[in-house]
Amino acid sequence: MTTIGETLTGADLLAALRQSLSDAEQGGVPGPALRTALLRCDDPLVLRKAAKTLAKLPLDNGLRAAKVCIQATCTIGSFAPLLRAQLVGAGIAPELESGPYGRFELTMATADFSEHDVVACLLDESYFLPDEWDTLDPAGLGKHVRARLEELRGILLGAVERSSTSFVLHTLPLPAQVRDSFISWSGRAAVSQAWHRLNADLLALAEESRQLAVVDLVGILADQAVAARDDRMFRYGDMPYTDDALLALAKQVRRFTQAKLGLSRKVLALDLDNTLWGGVLGEVGAAGVQLGGLYPGNCYTQLQRTAQRLREQGVILVLASKNDAELVSEALREHPEMLLREDAFSATAVNWASKAGNIEAAAESLSLNTNSFVFLDDSPFERGHVADELPEVAVLAADGDPANVVRTLLRDGWFDVLELTDTDLKRPELYRTRAKRADFAGGFGSSEDYLAALEIRLAAEEATSYTIGRIAQLGGRSNQFNLTGIRPDEAETKRLAESDDHLVASFAVRDRFGDEGIIGATWVECGADRWDVTNFVLSCRVLGRGVEIAAVHWIADKARAAGAKTLRGRFVPSGRNNICADLWTRSGFTEIEDGVFELDLGADAEGASRSPRWIIVNGEDA
Amino acid sequence: MDDSVSVRDSVLDILSGVLDIEVGDLLTQPVLAAHEWDSISSLEAFAALERHFGIELDLRAFHATRTVDDLVRLVDKTPAQA
Repeated sequence: MTTIGETLTGADLLAALRQSLSDAEQGGVPGPALRTALLRCDDPLVLRKAAKTLAKLPLDNGLRAAKVCIQATCTIGSFAPLLRAQLVGAGIAPELESGPYGRFELTMATADFSEHDVVACLLDESYFLPDEWDTLDPAGLGKHVRARLEELRGILLGAVERSSTSFVLHTLPLPAQVRDSFISWSGRAAVSQAWHRLNADLLALAEESRQLAVVDLVGILADQAVAARDDRMFRYGDMPYTDDALLALAKQVRRFTQAKLGLSRKVLALDLDNTLWGGVLGEVGAAGVQLGGLYPGNCYTQLQRTAQRLREQGVILVLASKNDAELVSEALREHPEMLLREDAFSATAVNWASKAGNIEAAAESLSLNTNSFVFLDDSPFERGHVADELPEVAVLAADGDPANVVRTLLRDGWFDVLELTDTDLKRPELYRTRAKRADFAGGFGSSEDYLAALEIRLAAEEATSYTIGRIAQLGGRSNQFNLTGIRPDEAETKRLAESDDHLVASFAVRDRFGDEGIIGATWVECGADRWDVTNFVLSCRVLGRGVEIAAVHWIADKARAAGAKTLRGRFVPSGRNNICADLWTRSGFTEIEDGVFELDLGADAEGASRSPRWIIVNGEDA
Repeated sequence: MDDSVSVRDSVLDILSGVLDIEVGDLLTQPVLAAHEWDSISSLEAFAALERHFGIELDLRAFHATRTVDDLVRLVDKTPAQA
């Protein structure tokens, strides 16, 4: 199974495009896989040829129509065909128009752009530079450049007022011929400074109107290291940029147009093994996966951080992994370097079913179309399968060197939006809740059935250096479910945890809806015959599920295993902690004096059975 | 000589792609100006030839070419770039 978008050579791509246009069954339009291949193609000559074929797209083509106009201070050259190929790649059928040569200012100042979706402005330095300048006066040159920027700004603000069209501009590289014609270092620095200011001022135009967008072409060219200019073409045909540079710009204009037309994606479906972490979880275990630290673990951390940043901006994260769900939960919950915990995902599909089916199911539970999905996976088989079954999903490859994956994820701009709205920011949580409701719409015969269906898992463990901070924090902050009001601080908690005659433990809870993390803690004095619970605290948000009872029984089991005969607990009323007044009696303890409760560990050898049966403690059924 | 044959084939192939005509048409009518050899198509061919052969052509010499064989000769005598 191969994915067209990943494997086509230039000649094959062109042949497939011609084929698709003559294929009436496909409506004479390149399908999603072929369009992806167009987007991925970095050969401007292939794309220029592709554009000739694509210019013959049938009118009724099912793609999104867009009217795009190019206005340039120079020869437009191959920018138009490159832009056409990019736009079709993104599922847009452009009506492309090119402004007249040599009349940039006049056209911009007077033309009616109200019919256009986007006006792409191709600028070169000739617009900003004077014909001649005094090499002894770099400041004078800077002044001229600023004045020209002001003129451009005026023209643009006027154009913005005349229509609701978007104008896309870009920053400009300072040609070496200009910079290096200043032989003094100070003069050269002054010219460069003036030019950087010009670019900063261009970028600032985006702040003045929502209709103005600015591509940082200079930054992109520096990153891609393609030549910006072929001097021969510049002198011969007033073509200031190479095809490679124009393609870089066309990609950005395509990203903008795609976002403006609402064609951007909303969901990122992520594989786990060798994508979100290195290694295969089922083989190496949660502690064995590569994550954090040095290479290659740092690559996976960076990918997680990137996904987290996307999520912060409204991208919905979905887990799509062929794995053991429990192992995955454990890894997500417990690996200290994990940045994406379970609650980062709005929907999870961790099972052994086909990923295409899982993506469809996830789309359904989120009430979204699969065409808003991007899927990132290291397995060519899984990618091929998803691409075949769901060609509308944008499929990205995470194999190869893990250092490259973040770039793969970000470079196509799949998630671009023009502005972040409140809804964008709330979307992941919104959809997380929505998916929960959809999953859990069924009714339950009793609250026990309900609780059992929640699959509540309690992870009780002795304090570690990772958890001491959180344990002390819980002691400090819990006021309601706080049995004695004794709050050891972090240093004290650490000391107690390290001493032989004390137990300090944390309790973490998760259920099928997500991970609450560490929500409870206890500090216990461990005598030979008797253990005394100094305090036990619990976050109120997990009450009503019996978690606290299971936790007490975990302590009792530990005491029994250590040879203690009794476990003692106290309740000291604070006026606010009434909610836990009956904890000990509910757990099978007897009140032996006012506020002091005891459990006979010998007589209560079966005590563990009293732990709520619906709670799974430390991975084992209670 | 063998090299020139393959250069000729490649040049023909590139020209037919750029001009959107059959190789046969170029063989029958090798004068470039008889086809749609304008500033845009000629520069596209220029870029394609440079990329394909890994050479940097002399733009003046390129513009002086009249026929397919003139172009083949130009490509042939242009040294490959290091």
